[in-house]
Amino acid sequence: MYQYNAEDKQFLVERVDQFEKQLRRHLSGELDEAKFRSLRLRNGLYMELHAHMLRIAIPYGILSSAQLRALADVADKYDRGFGHFTTRQNIQFNWIQLPEIANLLRDLTAAGLHAIQTSGKATRNITADPLSGLTEGEIEDARPYCELIRRWFNLHPEFSWLPGKFKIAINGAKLDETALRIHDLGLRLVRNEKGELGFSVFVGGGLGAAAMVAAETASFVPVADILSYLESSLRIYNLKGRRDHQKKLRIKFLVRELGAAEFSRLVDEDWQQTKDDPELKLNLNELESLKKDFALPIEPISLDGFKETVDFNYSIWKKNNVRSHKVSGHSIVNISLTKLGAPPGDATSEQMRILAKLADQFSSGEIRTTKRQTIVFPFVRKDQIFNLWKSLEQYGLASPHQGTLAQIVSCPGRDYCDLAKAVSIPIATRVQERFNDMNKLLDIGDLNINISGCENSCAHHHIADIGLLGMQKNGEEYYQITLAGETLNETNIGKKLGPSVSGETIVDAVEDIVNVYIANRQQEEKFTDVFKRIGITPFKEKVYG
Amino acid sequence: MDDIKNPTSLINKDYETINLVTFEEWIEDNGELSRLGVGIILEPSDDVSLIKDSLDSIELIALDFRNFDDGRSYSQAYLLSKRWHFRGEIIGINAHLDQLQFMIRSGITRYQLLESYSGFNEEDYANGFSICYQAAANNHGLNLKY
Ligand code: HEM
Ligand code: SF4
Repeated sequence: MYQYNAEDKQFLVERVDQFEKQLRRHLSGELDEAKFRSLRLRNGLYMELHAHMLRIAIPYGILSSAQLRALADVADKYDRGFGHFTTRQNIQFNWIQLPEIANLLRDLTAAGLHAIQTSGKATRNITADPLSGLTEGEIEDARPYCELIRRWFNLHPEFSWLPGKFKIAINGAKLDETALRIHDLGLRLVRNEKGELGFSVFVGGGLGAAAMVAAETASFVPVADILSYLESSLRIYNLKGRRDHQKKLRIKFLVRELGAAEFSRLVDEDWQQTKDDPELKLNLNELESLKKDFALPIEPISLDGFKETVDFNYSIWKKNNVRSHKVSGHSIVNISLTKLGAPPGDATSEQMRILAKLADQFSSGEIRTTKRQTIVFPFVRKDQIFNLWKSLEQYGLASPHQGTLAQIVSCPGRDYCDLAKAVSIPIATRVQERFNDMNKLLDIGDLNINISGCENSCAHHHIADIGLLGMQKNGEEYYQITLAGETLNETNIGKKLGPSVSGETIVDAVEDIVNVYIANRQQEEKFTDVFKRIGITPFKEKVYG
Repeated sequence: MDDIKNPTSLINKDYETINLVTFEEWIEDNGELSRLGVGIILEPSDDVSLIKDSLDSIELIALDFRNFDDGRSYSQAYLLSKRWHFRGEIIGINAHLDQLQFMIRSGITRYQLLESYSGFNEEDYANGFSICYQAAANNHGLNLKY
């Protein structure tokens, strides 16, 4: 597994030293609030009403067991014994005391972890497919590219003070598990007619009050030229992006105002000046060495004599949580952290240590995080899955929810967030209680419900089969419903169903929608396909009729 | 922020006083002004590409960093120094201690801090890291890793 070397770790220590000085200057009144805010956000630190939230990067969603243990230690030593895995594959701690920040960050540097650019108006942590390198038919494993691009934009001198935050996703698979077209910039690995590897580039996606799907600005940028192309895209954004209007800072507004064609023309014009600069070429030697570092730690094995254990609960869990692996004799195992009533994505330090131990035992010590706030074990031998399941079961981690409607994605909502207009976790709980029959859940199949407590859309409700958005009407909590959002095969923002529905009746509405789906489904048809075939009206009639 | 400076002249590296004009003044009449040997103050919103053909007749360029979060000046500095090879000094005015490393690597050759700070080592802030992960206008003697 790829690890930072001494040089990288030294850099992390230097960054902590720098931040500690800034913190001290701030506490002694030498660094004003506005500047400190800008600096602390670039170190992942948010000031909330009662405590501070710190977001730690999990680069492209990959952790070693040692790193997960380091995070568990942080949860115990500096927080209240838990952390929260986010929809962008990172982890957040919610109860951090300001004077302890530097010690916390210093503890993490030893494990190669940091909070650099996990917030603020800069390029953020890169999102990747949690199944990178694991599945058949991939165009290319995206991880080495993620790492090279992450490095390049780490404290980039020119692009550290952008108009708004800048999120990048990179996908190397055919299906898009990264939702790249709702990112500020999405890269898709592709091959041209000659079989050469490059990237299609999509710019200007994002959710929030004005949800937009990113437009393609280049259909093929050769691998070696990707850094200069990204620089040009960021330069145009840096120079021309809206800085005058708080709600129009993201690049999607610039792309919309200029038009995608004009934006991409400007990028191209800039790029022509730099694409041949040898300093800006992707370092292909480094790429090769990273490919070795990222090589899979497993070999094909044949398990001819192996007989799977027959057990009812196990088979249900297995159907929903285990996927096939490109290396024979192995599987990919998904682990849901969902517990009734707890915020999705929350993990206690004890759970983290157990997961780290199980990863050592069953998954070559590697763990991945997903945008559905679940955990993936990427390297499990087929003849060990039952044993893994038994251990998970023992620790309450064998929720069979994954791949069913009960695996709800929800933001913290009004229970924890100052910006919220409505609760989200209690709605998730009520939906889970309504659909608590496993046979029914299995019959419904894979259906995504995402709940955001306000328009900031932290839970990605726009791209769920059923999206719920909390709002206020005359002082009461209401939810706007969107249907048939998707990103896997194509990217579509969910369509608004109609007037928002009160908190009291929202779970009935969800059940109505599910029932319309079941009644109209042909064979294994997915929710989005049914929606495309029958349209919105049957859903409307059922919910508002 | 009463410390903000709106200088009308700056001293160049040969200790000569160079008068400064605004971007608009330069665009309006650069024929006349270039004979006088002036420098220009650029605001972040000024379209720096409009002066690229007259760079040879500009003595020095001051970029205004007063607004901490406005990152446009970094791209201006990059374009002037790296792309268009401006030969004069590029001076960051109203600069902030915590941004020196970014300014210098973007191509700023000299700076004037907006606020004075006591008890800090300027070098430390300008060059607080042992490596950097990208090529930029000025790599500042750092060990490159990319
Ligand atoms: C309670 C603390 C939180 C606060 C105050 C908060 C605040 C915000 C705000 C203001 C935005 C919009 C920024 C913009 O569009 O420029 C945003 C976006 C986002 N947040 Fe949060 N958030 C919180 C927690 C979370 C959590 C727990 C997650 C993960 C589960 C999360 C994931 C996201 C994502 C993915 C976006 C981007 C949505 C998009 O693509 O536009 N946030 N958040
Ligand atoms: S969507 Fe709104 S309510 Fe939910 S966490 Fe984000 S900012 Fe808070």
